[in-house]
Amino acid sequence: MSPLRKKILSTANYLFQTQGINSTGVDTIVAAAGTTKMTLYKYFRSKENLILEVLEQGHQDFQTWLIDKLISKQPSEKLQQLFEFIEEWVTSPNFQGMVFIKASAEFPSETSAVHQLSSEQSRQFKQYISSLASEADIEDADGLALQLSLLFEGAVQAEQMIRGSGAMTYAKKAAKILINGATKHS
Amino acid sequence: MLIKSSPTPQGRMLSLFDILDDWINVPQLNAEIFHQGLFTKTEAEPLLVAYLTEQGKACGAFHPNILAEHLVLIARSAAQQAINQPYSHSLAHAKKAAHALILAQTPTNRSIVSRLNSLKVYGIAASLAFMISAVSIILPLVKHSHPTHVNVVQARLRSLTTRAPNNLEPLTGVTSDDAIKIYAKYEQMRNGACQFPEVLQIPDKDKAIYLEDVVGGKLPNDTGDLAIAKFYLEKVRCNYTPMLMEHSK
Repeated sequence: MSPLRKKILSTANYLFQTQGINSTGVDTIVAAAGTTKMTLYKYFRSKENLILEVLEQGHQDFQTWLIDKLISKQPSEKLQQLFEFIEEWVTSPNFQGMVFIKASAEFPSETSAVHQLSSEQSRQFKQYISSLASEADIEDADGLALQLSLLFEGAVQAEQMIRGSGAMTYAKKAAKILINGATKHS
Repeated sequence: MLIKSSPTPQGRMLSLFDILDDWINVPQLNAEIFHQGLFTKTEAEPLLVAYLTEQGKACGAFHPNILAEHLVLIARSAAQQAINQPYSHSLAHAKKAAHALILAQTPTNRSIVSRLNSLKVYGIAASLAFMISAVSIILPLVKHSHPTHVNVVQARLRSLTTRAPNNLEPLTGVTSDDAIKIYAKYEQMRNGACQFPEVLQIPDKDKAIYLEDVVGGKLPNDTGDLAIAKFYLEKVRCNYTPMLMEHSK
């Protein structure tokens, strides 16, 4: 990836997270990235394409980071550790939010390509939690994955609204209660 | 509906999910309600958050407002999923997640130890109340008996407050003339092709001001912000050569 393209992507990601996707105009992205509209359209063709690439990049970065953290853990530990790592990530100074959560709220129409991609990423995340639950021999892995993903997405949104709210800490405690409950039942 | 739904605050908070489930299953109410944003973008949401905050307080939650916000976010997300995937039972799962969250936010063992602690707290509170009332009675007496000391303190306070504006000036270093100049610069920049400094290279504390006031062209109200905006505005490079003239070179 060319450095200029990378710079536009990271600037757009920052602006989408801090100012909102719809309220960030192409002019602002171009000015803040220190480039021109022509260059932006050369790389991304439209604002929608830029949003989609920011979504892809953000999701990929998060997944890679999480998988790297969990890879050395035992199957039974992975699910318990998941929220520990998510809390670490959310409370890090570089955390700006999750684009797919913001995107699904800002693009509620199911026909929108941005909504479709953000829903798909949310589904993939749920599926990942479900696979960890299956590895830990939990009977209703899909049900637990849905509960944990609702908790997680709500906590990330709360953190985006009020930085340092502590929502993720309570979500982590709640997740432990749910995981322990599901483990006893299986 | 929520108020009558349960005798306990926990139960009232959780019944939000049952009520939403019932609403979504009413054919004419379901999708239209949520697609029109009735649940997401009206006056209803702050009211709901306020109600849940009250319930959170009633059940002794550590942070009732955060609990309320989190419950609303879970409910909204689950309701959207219930509409998009009717067989996911998302609201029933959301209720389980909400129940766990309420448990995580509330003290579990209100045992003898906590009762003893609360007795201690009452004791401390009573002593504090006594001390405050004693001080409020004694202080006026002391004040009248030592007028010179009070005068010295008041004089020091006066000198501090009168000195304060002078101390602030070198910090900001901006005047109303600077605000006028900044505004004129914004107007001028509209007619040129400007190269702004990259936002990612600007310190985090200044980013918001830079984006809003320099890139966005909004004149700040605060003198501190004005000084920051002025600093970054000086780094913007603009070309005002008319386009036709530039192309004719």
